[in-house]
Amino acid sequence: MIQLYNIFKTYNGKIPALNDISLLIKEGAFVFITGPSGAGKSTLLKLLYRWENFDSGQVLVNGMNIAKIKYTKLHLLRRNIGVVFQDYKLLPNRTVFENVAFAKEVVGASTKTIRFKTLDSLKKVGLLDKRDSYPLQLSGGEQQRVAIARAIVNSPKILLADEPTGNLDPDMAMEIVRLFQSANERGMTVVFATHNHDLVAKSKYPFIMLNRGSIVRS
Amino acid sequence: MISTHLKTAIQNLKSNKQVGIVTITTFAIAFSIFGLFLVIFVNLNSILATWSKQVQIVVYLKDDISLEERQALEDLIPKNPDVESATFVPKELAWKNFKNDFSANADILNSLDINPLPASYNLQFKQSADRVERIREFAETLSRKPGVESLEYGEKWISRFEQFMVFLRVFLLAVGGLLSLGLIFILANTIKLSVVSRQAEIELMLLIGATHRFIKGPFLVEGMLQGFLGAVISLILLKGIHIYMKFQFLESIQSILRGGEILFISPLHSLMLISIGLFVGWIGSYISINQFLFAGDLS
Ligand SMILES: Nc1ncnc2c1ncn2[C@@H]1O[C@H](COP(=O)(O)OP(=O)(O)OP(=O)(O)O)[C@@H](O)[C@H]1O
Ligand SMILES: [Mg+2]
Repeated sequence: MIQLYNIFKTYNGKIPALNDISLLIKEGAFVFITGPSGAGKSTLLKLLYRWENFDSGQVLVNGMNIAKIKYTKLHLLRRNIGVVFQDYKLLPNRTVFENVAFAKEVVGASTKTIRFKTLDSLKKVGLLDKRDSYPLQLSGGEQQRVAIARAIVNSPKILLADEPTGNLDPDMAMEIVRLFQSANERGMTVVFATHNHDLVAKSKYPFIMLNRGSIVRS
Repeated sequence: MISTHLKTAIQNLKSNKQVGIVTITTFAIAFSIFGLFLVIFVNLNSILATWSKQVQIVVYLKDDISLEERQALEDLIPKNPDVESATFVPKELAWKNFKNDFSANADILNSLDINPLPASYNLQFKQSADRVERIREFAETLSRKPGVESLEYGEKWISRFEQFMVFLRVFLLAVGGLLSLGLIFILANTIKLSVVSRQAEIELMLLIGATHRFIKGPFLVEGMLQGFLGAVISLILLKGIHIYMKFQFLESIQSILRGGEILFISPLHSLMLISIGLFVGWIGSYISINQFLFAGDLS
């Protein structure tokens, strides 16, 4: 469960990025965050895994007041949140398999579990046959799917996706949405940020529309 | 866990090979300098120990010493449990020995018709840890006895030597401390380069829920590995120098010191050197990686 109460956030104390945001996303929900470029979508997601700070208000994630978590204990929050980053953040010197496995290594899983879960995750996104390729040998859509595989490999409670359909054609974009859909059906809470209105319109899920840091429709 | 850290650390080292080699070489040189001082210290210490073992007292008697006074001395000396043996050397014997030692000048010596040498007691002391201290105390007592002209023993020499060794010890500690500080600084910079070159990866690790400990691990191992290699290389270098010195100078040294050895630093000291290498490596890398991690602290 994700709850925000009257969140204000500025960058460098000047540019307002989030302006009095309050919202509630229930466990197991699928929600779109939409709005034009610069609206504050990424900023909102970054707050949730505490990569960015906020000026005032309160954020609860899985019942934790995230402002209260000590810096050295943030992994406790982040292990429950899978993130598909807007810029993917794939490591170019590691193969597809190693990139996905990395997320499991980092949390100290056993070699056997790492192997099993990584292959399972790659199968879910349909990239088993590309497991030995390097990210730069893949198309944009394929890189996107590697990032998704890595985000779901630890079966997090919450899955955050930041513009995961960025520069994909409409069919490919729907394909990606379907991947998140099935993750959602397996019980993950999905928050999907996109400026693609068509995509939101074509799906049955609720959305929160931001503009210049404020909620304009939901 | 340790083996994965080691694997990553070696990978890091390989990808920053040049910096790594420079750092390890710097370590090796610094440790060799320190080790050389240590070798010198160890050898001087052993010379001091040999000398202390050879210290004895010669008690010179006044020519007009009375019988009672001599008897008092003869009673006193055996009472000291540290005395191993005491021999009386009468005036005549002393003079004869002296003439024998300087037979080349026999003519001049023979032309003297008085015997200028005093009678004496030669006291040998038993071996014990605080032998020099005990000799010093007994010499103090003897010198105050009537009939005693003067005392001779290596006390002055030994004291000075001992003082010098104390100074050397302090000097070694200071040099060791300063070198360590410098090395920590150098290593912190090396690890910083390694950290920066893996910035994206560290950031990703933080994002996907790695503990700080997990992130630090490879860098700490990398730092310790460099310190360790530096120390080991310096030991090999020192051993080489030691063998060369032995080969080249042992005979001349033995003739000066009447049969001595050129000692190498003890296994304990070698272990200490390696531990310092590991410790310095750990501290240096800890500073760097911690600094980097906490730069991202939002609170
Ligand atoms: N690190 C930063 N420093 C300063 N300003 C920032 C930073 N990140 C974002 N901003 C500003 O905050 C505002 C919101 O940015 P944000 O990235 O959240 O938008 P977005 O909705 O994700 O846009 P897009 O659809 O282009 O990804 C923008 O005006 C942006 O310039
Ligand atoms: Mg964005």
